Amino acid sequence: MRSYLPIARGSYMVGLVYRFGFLFTIVGNVVYLGVAYYLWRSIYSYSDTIRGLTFNETFLYVGLGSAIFILLKTYADWYIHYEIREGIIANYLTKPLDFQLYNLFANLGSLLMNLTAITVPTVLLLTFVFKVKVAFGPGLFLFPISLLLAFLISFSIDYSIGLMGFYSESVWGLSTTKEIIVTVFSGALIPLQFFPAAMQKVLFWLPFQAIYHTPIMMLTKPDQALNVFLPMMAVQLAWAVTLFVAARLFYNQAIKVLRIAGG
Amino acid sequence: MRSFAEYLRLYVIIEKQYIKARMQYRADFIISSIGMFFSSLATLGVFWVILNSVPSLAGWSLMEMVFIYAFYMIAISPMQILFDHAWQIRFHVQQGSFLKYYFRPLNMMFYYMSEMFDLKGLTQLVVGIALLIYASIQLNLGWTPIRLLLLLMTLFSAALVQISIIVAASCAAFWVLDSYPVLGLAWKLREFSPYPMTIFDGAFRVAFTYVIPIGFVAFYPSQLFLRPEEVSPLIYFSPVIGIGLFALTYWIWTRGVNSYTGTGS
Repeated sequence: MRSYLPIARGSYMVGLVYRFGFLFTIVGNVVYLGVAYYLWRSIYSYSDTIRGLTFNETFLYVGLGSAIFILLKTYADWYIHYEIREGIIANYLTKPLDFQLYNLFANLGSLLMNLTAITVPTVLLLTFVFKVKVAFGPGLFLFPISLLLAFLISFSIDYSIGLMGFYSESVWGLSTTKEIIVTVFSGALIPLQFFPAAMQKVLFWLPFQAIYHTPIMMLTKPDQALNVFLPMMAVQLAWAVTLFVAARLFYNQAIKVLRIAGG
Repeated sequence: MRSFAEYLRLYVIIEKQYIKARMQYRADFIISSIGMFFSSLATLGVFWVILNSVPSLAGWSLMEMVFIYAFYMIAISPMQILFDHAWQIRFHVQQGSFLKYYFRPLNMMFYYMSEMFDLKGLTQLVVGIALLIYASIQLNLGWTPIRLLLLLMTLFSAALVQISIIVAASCAAFWVLDSYPVLGLAWKLREFSPYPMTIFDGAFRVAFTYVIPIGFVAFYPSQLFLRPEEVSPLIYFSPVIGIGLFALTYWIWTRGVNSYTGTGS
């Protein structure tokens, strides 16, 4: 643990170098929130409550979705794939570090960077400019744990896609497909409540909703009973453990095919 | 000064070689095309989910949205296929390899952009055309030669608007080195172009119509074919807007290229 924390700190500092970029990301997010506001306002012109959500709840859901999306978007799949393809991975293999834990902590550092630079300003914007109100309830206390589990799931998926670099030249297709499936079926773009009922039943058991829908619901409707939240978290925990272990096994297999040119 | 025909001939020769080289990675091409297929349909999926719960989006039915979306997919294809190298400017500028583009007796923007021909973008074009035909049949749109001509004209202008926004954003690299955040913002804006512009008001409506005119990429031109009676007269100026924006972008590019001093190594 002691040797991994400086890695997180390091990647946090690297993030600071790109301060100029954060400005654009925040502007992009403000525009996105504005567009989402108008889109959902027009949808809610038909009725005050759609699929059990009010306009305020849906807008909070979508806004949080974008904030958490940026938080969890660490580009781990691209970096790991790049390091494998270019042979940079050799630098890590010669050190007494675990490759998966190394990447986990490096991503934790970028996550904290995104949290301070982008997510917090977005949430402040939601509360003060768009005047979104958050109710009080047990969900608020479960949220941090749920977010951490969501990070583990998201990381394990990205990490496994990155490991495909052992087998394939380019990761564009895989990464893009993964990103679309995750964003559409996770609630990052549109509340899962809006999907047809049969689809919702299937989506509930998939890991994607555990990344966005579960933590978002804890802030959107925090005043629900614990027996609503606990099964959702159980699904999260099960996926976090399964995917983390699966990624580990995959690495142990994949590392065997690695050949790095000398020189 | 070389003639247009000469450039066209050169372009074909360059891309033939490029495609041959890319085809060495056939699996990559297939996976990327699948990725492109899903990613280009994501926003349409969102519209579909929304229209499951409400009867229309600001008065536009699902099939009308499919038409607007198909128009959007076709309009952004030339940018995706022919100008994809714009994303790499930041790497070339940072690493100094951009210098090589100064040393050919060719138009620099032509030479630079010709180095990449995005094959996976063809997926988007094909799906867009198929959806446009499907929606036209479902909506019973009568296509006369004049309307087809209008379609080609508005598509051409829309493509120019989209190309201009992305290329102009990528030019930021000449001044701030890392143009990714600017490009990311431009890319995000692109995704809003199939939205019915009538849902916006105030600053957003003005910005999407006059400042960064993404409204002209899909929604305003589609109105011309779906509901000609509601159309704003502005749409007849779309070629002027498209060509004007491209000229502006070319001017930004020229300034950027002239101010770049290399990496010094």
